Amino acid sequence: MGYKIGLDLGSTAIKMVLVKNNEITWSRKVPTAPGQEALAMELVKGAVNECGLSEVDIDHIAATGYGKKLMSSAGHTVDEISANAQGLHWLSEGRCRTIINIGGQDLKVINLNEKGLIADFKMNDKCAAGTGRFFEQAARILDTPLEKFGEMSKLADEPLELNSTCVVFAESEIVSLLAKGVPKERIIKGLHHSVARRITHLLGSRNTPKGGDIYLDGGPSQNPGLLEALEDELLMEVKVLPNPQFTVAFGATLSAN
Amino acid sequence: MSNNQDDREGRLKKKILDRFDDETSQEIKILKSRPDFRPELEYFVDLLAGGRDPATISARTGRPVVALMCLQAPLELFHVYGLQPFKIFGGTMVAQRLSAPQLPAIMCPMLRSALGELHLDLAGSKGQKFLAWVTPTTCDWVVKIQDMMEVCGITEKPPFHRLELPHLKDRTESQDRWLEEVYLLRGFLSQITGKKKIRRQDLARSMNIYQKSWHVFSNLIDLKRTGRVPEIWFMVISNSFFFDDAEKWTESVKKALPVFNKREKALPDIFLAGSPIFFPNLKMLHLLEEAGLNVVMDDLCSSERIFPGAVYFDDFSEHGLLKALAQRYHQGCLCPTFSDNDRRINNIIAPAHKDLYKGVVFHVLKGCHPFDLESLTLECRLKDMGLKFIKLETDYTSEDSQTLLTRLEAYRNTLAN
Repeated sequence: MGYKIGLDLGSTAIKMVLVKNNEITWSRKVPTAPGQEALAMELVKGAVNECGLSEVDIDHIAATGYGKKLMSSAGHTVDEISANAQGLHWLSEGRCRTIINIGGQDLKVINLNEKGLIADFKMNDKCAAGTGRFFEQAARILDTPLEKFGEMSKLADEPLELNSTCVVFAESEIVSLLAKGVPKERIIKGLHHSVARRITHLLGSRNTPKGGDIYLDGGPSQNPGLLEALEDELLMEVKVLPNPQFTVAFGATLSAN
Repeated sequence: MSNNQDDREGRLKKKILDRFDDETSQEIKILKSRPDFRPELEYFVDLLAGGRDPATISARTGRPVVALMCLQAPLELFHVYGLQPFKIFGGTMVAQRLSAPQLPAIMCPMLRSALGELHLDLAGSKGQKFLAWVTPTTCDWVVKIQDMMEVCGITEKPPFHRLELPHLKDRTESQDRWLEEVYLLRGFLSQITGKKKIRRQDLARSMNIYQKSWHVFSNLIDLKRTGRVPEIWFMVISNSFFFDDAEKWTESVKKALPVFNKREKALPDIFLAGSPIFFPNLKMLHLLEEAGLNVVMDDLCSSERIFPGAVYFDDFSEHGLLKALAQRYHQGCLCPTFSDNDRRINNIIAPAHKDLYKGVVFHVLKGCHPFDLESLTLECRLKDMGLKFIKLETDYTSEDSQTLLTRLEAYRNTLAN
């Protein structure tokens, strides 16, 4: 008894957390595919089985993300911006004032007040530039696993100036650079910096935090090369919590309170 | 080759016309199946459903129809010359397919849609064209409309009159210049109708008719302030204004007022500012409702701003009446294309001091530059006051509905903070 489930049905992955007493006891993600509710319920079943629980132990299911309305079994739904705010406020023990979330197809900057409530937020328009999808596309063209992006970018001295963060235009730019013999390491470092600049623009001078900490979350936040580029562009320290791709799902369970 | 091209174009037009009808009837169906739909609202819905071609409007009003590209031209002048002014607007997504290949990629979707509709020959589909075109030179897109019509291959070439709008309001020279333009418009209308003179009593009568429309409309606005008029219905009513005779429309608004006798839900009240919204593209309004936000004020030129306000006059000479009209349409207009436009910003900010709304949702149609630019000033001013502001940039496609909804839902949560 006393377990809650948080489901974040995102554009590229479905993330699930099992929570007891506001602590994550189990988490997993699967790629988004047609039949999102069935995929999510498979995750729930997996958690229940692996943790030796039965369905009656689950008090509540909270859903968030673009697919939240597909979850007919959810006890409640919450938008992912509010869920992200609540999740990071709790996990950072109230220190977070700005969240930079990089999702599969969007970028969000969320400012929190000292109570963890949303003071303001910005989100990219309908363009996947600088999002998780952008990195996936780049990894494919560079024929390099995303997990290696961090270490490879550290090997480059100077980032290459990339003109585009557009998923489509960056492809031809990267292909052309590879054809010219530019090392992949420099290109990857350049990618990190171009995304970091885009985030900095979204953050804007008026939204630069005046106190508290700044956190990066979402799948791409596990890339240390991106984190380094972001700190370099923002001229500020940026923190990343363990398992940053589950913050939103966790926040959804908190919103059930 | 030429025949094939004609054939292809003909088939494309037919295809788009079918989809155009689908898009319109789908929205009509949604409106009529709403739980708050009442018989008193049917008149307005039917006007929007009933076609926007000059033949239909002329048959309904008994007057030849003049196309207006912007609301800046004094409607009363058209009326006194026995004409029906019809504001050209495009609200359909599908019509853009006909005009888009010829036009810039980033362009006002409303005008792109309007040009597509004109290309579709809705205007002349029943054998009747607009008697004339009147274009006040407000935003850049409207200024270049004649060129764009040509580029889009719109062959209709009725008399075309431009009203040069001085973009400074507070200068006496600008006000005098605008009065000259109103006189020139009078001359143009006289020329196309063949009526050499108008009697000042008739002009005063036309002004009174529009005054009454404004009066009844302002009662509807007052009701909206109390949260009792859903913005979707308000938009349907205001959008339909040009589709019928002003007096008939006014009577119908009067009959509809009691429909809105109670507030359905206690939702956060917001001010909707920015680019206009036209039927059948009511996407943003549906999303606002879905997110649980209630529009109690707006400054859209397709909604609360269809009238410039009450026209006052104490000089009953023809010059006095024309001057009163010119003054009202210039001074009363809150279009962002004006340069000295503090009143527009203050109009949005002032009600916040009285706690009349919780936050501002700023709607920008991609390519609608005057509103986009102005949103920056407004955002700074509102945030400095500690008020909530969100800008949503969109177009006529529905693919961004989910991300817009996410933002609106999160925004609603911030209003409680």
